[in-house]
Amino acid sequence: MLSVSGLKANVGEKEILKGLDLQVGAGEVHAVMGPNGSGKSTFAHVLSGREGYEVTAGSVTFEGRDLLALEPEERARLGLFLAFQYPVELPGVNNTYFLKAALNSIRKSRGEPELDAVSFLRLIREKLKVLHLDDSLLKRAVNVGFSGGEKKRNEIFQMALLEPRLAILDETDSGLDIDALRLVADGVNALRGPERSMIVVTHYQRLLDYIQPDRVHVLSKGRIIRSGGKELALELEEKGYGWIDAGEQAA
Amino acid sequence: MRVETTKGFESWLRGEPGQLAGSGLEWLESQRRTARDRLRGQGVPSSKQEAWRYTSLKGLLEQGFAPIEEVVDTLQPSDLERFLIPGLETHRVVLVNGRYAPALSALGELPKGARLSALNALLESDPEVVRARLNQVAGAKQSLFSALNTAGLDDGLVVILDAGVRLEHPIELIHLSIGMDEPRVAQPRHLLVLEAGAQATLIERYLSLEGAAYCTNAVLELSLGRDASLQHERIQLESTNAFHVTGLYLSQDSGSRYQGVNLGLGASWARTDLVTGFRGEQAECGLQGLYLAGDRQLMDYHLDVDHSLPQCSSRENFKGILYGKGRAVFDGRVYVAKDAQKTDAAMSNRNLMLSERAEIDTKPQLEINADDVKCSHGTTVGQIEPEMLFYLRSRGISESLARRMLCLGFAGEIIQALSTESLRDHVTEQVGQRLESAPLN
Repeated sequence: MLSVSGLKANVGEKEILKGLDLQVGAGEVHAVMGPNGSGKSTFAHVLSGREGYEVTAGSVTFEGRDLLALEPEERARLGLFLAFQYPVELPGVNNTYFLKAALNSIRKSRGEPELDAVSFLRLIREKLKVLHLDDSLLKRAVNVGFSGGEKKRNEIFQMALLEPRLAILDETDSGLDIDALRLVADGVNALRGPERSMIVVTHYQRLLDYIQPDRVHVLSKGRIIRSGGKELALELEEKGYGWIDAGEQAA
Repeated sequence: MRVETTKGFESWLRGEPGQLAGSGLEWLESQRRTARDRLRGQGVPSSKQEAWRYTSLKGLLEQGFAPIEEVVDTLQPSDLERFLIPGLETHRVVLVNGRYAPALSALGELPKGARLSALNALLESDPEVVRARLNQVAGAKQSLFSALNTAGLDDGLVVILDAGVRLEHPIELIHLSIGMDEPRVAQPRHLLVLEAGAQATLIERYLSLEGAAYCTNAVLELSLGRDASLQHERIQLESTNAFHVTGLYLSQDSGSRYQGVNLGLGASWARTDLVTGFRGEQAECGLQGLYLAGDRQLMDYHLDVDHSLPQCSSRENFKGILYGKGRAVFDGRVYVAKDAQKTDAAMSNRNLMLSERAEIDTKPQLEINADDVKCSHGTTVGQIEPEMLFYLRSRGISESLARRMLCLGFAGEIIQALSTESLRDHVTEQVGQRLESAPLN
């Protein structure tokens, strides 16, 4: 599904990703963990096509396509979804209108007919239930005046609606209290399936209590320095990132 | 070019004054004469005059506009159908090239004490009603174009609501322009008087049958009695080759409320002067606006809000979207007199620039002479946030649609100020269409 090989990327003059390799198969959930500044968010942004990053080496193949050659909207239409760490507020842009434009853009690119208003609303209400979101949210401007928890749930709600093949959750747990975290995790778990892969980017092990990963990778200084099963996350939690860095230096 | 400039507005004054409405009414002839003399005395304003500093009259003068003498009465109600807004129920008054078109109008049933008529007809049937009100509000501060309008005054809409009369449905004034062989100017003159406690909504729409070059020079005099309330929505959708001028003069008695929404979506050159004043305390005045300017377009707004009395409030909120080589001017002035304590005024002008070649000259000013007031003003000129654009694109939305959505989001605040959903939908669609054809940079 996703194959990242030798990926190097700069922000300005500074190299942030220094040869990153990662393979994600269909239906797998991978956690990418690492301390601040290790390149976690840069990795998520490079995959989604955000401006401001220069890829200097390596390749990313997604669904058999050269992902890095595609515009952000083309990546989304191919089935890539980024749940933002900081969802963007769009003043004056109605949430329902936004969701409909997104869904129909993706459907159109797949040769599927656009949804009419009635079927769209039916679909929306069904997905809202999964996230325990109130439908008053539909009438509001995208993310404007939303609480931190609502913003994150709105991200997962969009994911539920757009049904991506690969979802990247960029520090979705940051800024959430335990109840909000549980709601978000429930939403994510409800979307797990044999055809949907996920990359869960997080600093803390906490989220992984709720979203159990198949694989855990530790990112440090722009490279994956250790991979393992979910027990690796627990070990990290116990010993801290210092343990990894020390181990790397000793090796 | 020099030839046209020296000729000034002489072509506008052409024609036999005796053929205009109410000929033989000495008071009216005298008003026309005064206006003509003033125009000839003043000459053409130059860019050294503050009111014309950013806006050139050259293109307009070169057209050599002349008054329209021919009456177009060949239009059928079916010709109007494509301009009607579905679901919008109104008392409809249609003017074609500045003149009342009874065959196209549908006044509907009016409550007792409500009068809707054509100015021309009223000057025939009841000239004293007009005499008591014409040039009462516009009088002192009449600008160049308002004087031209007075000099050529012939027809327009007159609305008079007696005390306490409330109209359930809006009055819809459709001004339709039809191109003539020669460059012509239509100069509709509208009078609206709401006596104490009267309430109404007025929707003004300036439209054209085809993309001809013409000029509309409209003047409105609005007078609100004690506790009267007017919701006033203006949609300027002239042909992209047209020139449009509006001079709006408003007078408000105590406790009255005025909410004006000005949408400038068409014309190649549009100038709007909004001049307001209070004649009593506790009155509220809201002036909102949205303008779009693209290649070969100029949108020019001048606001003159006069707080001469205490305890009144005003809100001025204008937003612009500029693209291509579009140009706009916002010159807003709020004046607070020495004794106008407890004045509450806030003026804002925000602009979204989609192109580096677009230009905005914005100049909000407060002139405060009282010491116990709440006044503010602010202006912004910005671009679409890359963050917002990326967020939309990351959801599969194309860059062009994403830009359009963000522009409509920006414009939404003003569009939402319109009172009916069908009109909001209509304007949203018009703005969307304009943006769809706009270049992306």
